[in-house]
Amino acid sequence: MIGFTLNGQAAEIAPDESLLSALREQLGQTGTKQACDIGRCGACTVLLDGHAINACLLMGWQVAGKAVTTIEALETLAEGRALVRAMEEENGFQCGYCAPGVMMSLVGLFTHTPDATDEMIRTALEGNLCRCTGYHSILRGAFRARALIKDRI
Amino acid sequence: MRISHPSTLAEAEALIATGAQAVVGGTGHQFRWSQGQIRPDHLVNIGSLLPNGINDLTIGAGTSLEDIRHAGLPLLSRACGDVGAPNIRRLATLGGNIGFGAGCLIPALLALDAQLGTTLGPRPLRDHLRDPKGLILSVTLRPLARSIWRKVGLRAAFSPAMIVSTGTFSTEDTRITDLRLSVGGGAVLPQRLSEVETWLMGQVLTQVDPADLEARIIATVNAPSCAFRTASYRKRVAAKAISHGLLGQSPKTHSSKTLRPSPTPPPALTAVSRQDGGERWHTRPDMPRKTRGALPYLTDARAPGMLVGRILRAAYPHANIRHIDTRRAEALPGVHAVITHRDITGFNGFGIVFQDQPALCADKVRYSGDPVAAVAAIDAQVAEAALALIEVDYAPLPVATDPEMALMPSATRVHDNGNLVSEITHAKGDLTEGWAKAVHVIEDTYVTPRQMHGFMETEGGWAAPDGPQNDGILVCAGGQHGARDRLQLSRILDMPKEKIRVISSPTGGAFGGKDELTVQPVLALLARKSGRAVRLHLSRAESVQAGTKRNPMRIRMKTGCDATGRLVAQEVDVISDCGAYASLSPGVLETAMEHAAGPYVIENIQTRGRLAYTNNGTCGAFRGFGANQMSYAIECQMDRLAAKAGLDPIKIRRLNMRVPGSPGYLGQRVAPSERLLEMLDAASSSPLWNARETNPDEIIGTGMALNYQGNGLGTLPEDEAEFALRLKGGKIEALCGLDEMGQGLIASLHAETSTRLGVARDDIRTVYGDTGTAPDSGSTTASRGGYVVWRGIKETAPAFETELLSQAGAKLGLPPAELRLVPGGIGARGANTPTPLLRFDAMADSATFTTQFSFPKSDYTKGNARFIFAFAATLARVAVNRVSGQVRTLDLEMHTAAGPVIDMASYLGQMEGGLIQGLGFTLTEDVLMQNGRPVTTNFDSYMMPTLRDVPNTMRITALEELDPGDPHGPRGAGELGIGAVTPAIANAVFDAIGRWPVVTPFAPESLLDVIASSESEARS
Repeated sequence: MIGFTLNGQAAEIAPDESLLSALREQLGQTGTKQACDIGRCGACTVLLDGHAINACLLMGWQVAGKAVTTIEALETLAEGRALVRAMEEENGFQCGYCAPGVMMSLVGLFTHTPDATDEMIRTALEGNLCRCTGYHSILRGAFRARALIKDRI
Repeated sequence: MRISHPSTLAEAEALIATGAQAVVGGTGHQFRWSQGQIRPDHLVNIGSLLPNGINDLTIGAGTSLEDIRHAGLPLLSRACGDVGAPNIRRLATLGGNIGFGAGCLIPALLALDAQLGTTLGPRPLRDHLRDPKGLILSVTLRPLARSIWRKVGLRAAFSPAMIVSTGTFSTEDTRITDLRLSVGGGAVLPQRLSEVETWLMGQVLTQVDPADLEARIIATVNAPSCAFRTASYRKRVAAKAISHGLLGQSPKTHSSKTLRPSPTPPPALTAVSRQDGGERWHTRPDMPRKTRGALPYLTDARAPGMLVGRILRAAYPHANIRHIDTRRAEALPGVHAVITHRDITGFNGFGIVFQDQPALCADKVRYSGDPVAAVAAIDAQVAEAALALIEVDYAPLPVATDPEMALMPSATRVHDNGNLVSEITHAKGDLTEGWAKAVHVIEDTYVTPRQMHGFMETEGGWAAPDGPQNDGILVCAGGQHGARDRLQLSRILDMPKEKIRVISSPTGGAFGGKDELTVQPVLALLARKSGRAVRLHLSRAESVQAGTKRNPMRIRMKTGCDATGRLVAQEVDVISDCGAYASLSPGVLETAMEHAAGPYVIENIQTRGRLAYTNNGTCGAFRGFGANQMSYAIECQMDRLAAKAGLDPIKIRRLNMRVPGSPGYLGQRVAPSERLLEMLDAASSSPLWNARETNPDEIIGTGMALNYQGNGLGTLPEDEAEFALRLKGGKIEALCGLDEMGQGLIASLHAETSTRLGVARDDIRTVYGDTGTAPDSGSTTASRGGYVVWRGIKETAPAFETELLSQAGAKLGLPPAELRLVPGGIGARGANTPTPLLRFDAMADSATFTTQFSFPKSDYTKGNARFIFAFAATLARVAVNRVSGQVRTLDLEMHTAAGPVIDMASYLGQMEGGLIQGLGFTLTEDVLMQNGRPVTTNFDSYMMPTLRDVPNTMRITALEELDPGDPHGPRGAGELGIGAVTPAIANAVFDAIGRWPVVTPFAPESLLDVIASSESEARS
């Protein structure tokens, strides 16, 4: 088994198991969503050492010794708290199944680039599919989050 | 799978020599595995052995594509931005990408004349592609002064490449002094265009004839056809892309093809947005948990001892089953239950309209997703291993793939009673007389796609034995009508309904695709046989194969008007692909036929619709439900006749519009508060009709279409609802058995209950989506939910309020008449500050106030007819690309009239989301079938819009007022958004290029043909 850090706690995964499957099936962390298994929808996005990556594309050996942050730990990050508040205000989501992936893509962006441009926000979300909203509500939430982060609200 | 981490490159190469595969980021391997390639036994991680980083023009092979994208390298950084998406590019490396041997970057690297550093020494990339050997350590670019880059895929971003066209060149003054051109990407093998380069070398850019250049590129490029695009399309795109990139595109003068309407001022419209909503904008009650990923979906259930289910699907699209042998699967350790049709004690059939679909196939499979057997085991691995041990002996049958051919007498029979599922005809007036009056006639066949619902949460959930004696069953799976799911399960299980409890909420999107039963029968049968809780969540690949889709339709429509533009005759002939089972497809066809004239009066009309069984998957309900398909045809016909008659799009519609108060299309009585004229006024005044700047590669156009959407199930089906209110545990409980699928049921219940009673949204608790706790409120479909919520509360509120006031009066020693409900409890009537004198949490639970009502129905019973309609106008501004033929939607605007808006955020969400789902239908989405098998396997081959595909602006307004005395409240919002966006975009494409696309999704190649022929006309 391979050791890694999951939301600050020690965790283990088989070297050839996908991180997504380990999270949902072995570790009971079902906040990260499964929706395509081939990296084409972004619902399973997590942070790997702070960078947003699709958990379905990561195998155990690739997370050895690294820090994985999932939606369950979103609010341990200041940018995550701002994002939550902004998305609530803007009603960013509908069914909510894409939300964990969208939130992790955005928090990965904002922790590195709190003053991200509109274009950077759009690029960061290119790999996250949402079927309900048409994306505008998500973008409004992201823009609002950027303002909250800027004003340190 | 073994994964080695060698400490030297030599060690790595030694392992690779034994047959192990090198891996860096692994994205290429993952892609191959997703396409069905067998996973290797042994991977060798060479990532840590490769140089990582960028030094001037030399890039370490271990550098991620995302790092390269940000490095400002000539051409390559731009190219990396078009590969995958950022979250994948962080994992993918340049070395891995070259090692993979295909993909979008290779042509760019060829154009950059990349030199590789390998374990065998320096090698040009070209040599490596011909004869890959050694491990790639670094890549050195040799750029020229300028570059060309164009990736054309199937949508705006995050798409497989259809062709990548790229190059680098340098000039002195304007003479080409050096040049490298290449193509590749996806199915196109990487290729340098040497002959074209030789021809161009030394030429002066301004003197190159673009047509000559393009012809030479087309002659040189090798490109294959695939299910999505032809070879010819790929070559033409490459020719245009390189020609435009090299020579530039001279701005062409463009004139709008559609006459602009004169603006007529619309009534005051509510702008639907947070900014404009003010006090009306609330955070939806379900939002806090959704934004935190804290909402447990039914597919998230995990418990100790819970088994995992898997389903064995048909190996053929059409075959007789001779024998099923499950003995080896049953003997596998860890397997708790294996089920087949032999385990079905009740009726082995389901279907909302009629029950032609087996829960588990007995003697025949009719589509490739048909379930034959299922397994419950201790984990997914054991369950999958068990599936592989089930032996099914099939005798393949001929496959019915075309709905029209399926109706021929000689066609293979999908069901014993033939392939014609239903036929609906309607005639009015005298067609001969009508055609005699016609001066302008338009006839065409509009083709619509096999759209996939694409809900992000695939079908799934869990089931377990239930009840005091464990002789009942609890089934928890996302759905749209729990009580009907229960009824259907009771027939299959031969179990009284009372012993079955169905929990169908929350669900991660449905759009009609979870209206029919999905995994519920298998879940229930597995739980019953194993006596344990069982969970099951379809993979996307399985969902694509097995799930219902939108019925593809071919709509032949012939419409005539007189010289003034007045409609005089119309004939409509529809053939709809049912797929293997009926589900709601007969209802979809019926609804399409009911909307055959749109909101227009046509005295002489004759229509026929036929629905045919085929082996093309299975189809059923999908948002819009036939009406959006028919709107596409009729709303294009209106613009086409307008163009012939010299009218603008508003004028011809105004001329032919229904008159409020007149009977419906079938002669039925319809509800008041028609708002079509107001919608036309709003459309006439749209800023989208004005010109807008764009880049020279694009041609701009604007179009509009009217929405006219019937609500509810219609006259014939049962369309009942129960609803209840009560005070329990200090909260006002709204009990409503609809489902929360993301549309905002919970928010609407909070909004409507609090507004009606004068209490706070927080005072409300909702009980929904569970046959064990909520009443049967009917299906969450057909745009009926808003009405059910409004009517249920309207009917239960008065008695509920009376009881609360009486209880409070007794407690407070005040006459109830001096009291009223206020936020938080009961306050004094007439008091300025609504402070509760008695808080709800200090009150006893009330009785439950229940109501039961029918969704309002028309008086027409010869066929299915709607009584309530909702109205809107949809406008689109688009840009058609001269290089790719692709359509980019720049702006969408929608004016809606669906009565009072219950919850603004939910309403806005329905409109925006519906528009974009319709945009996908129009431009990119279709499940392609070949011989009864889907070509589409997952989201890599099904193109739902990404954030890059949606317009820059979407503006939504609402006209909320109803006629005085209109007793019917809010109209349905769920299907308006998708209702007319297709014809709005089609009409905008006409405005841009002068032709109406009649096949959805629009084929970029045919739009290129139109542009090419109009350009050649302009030249001659």
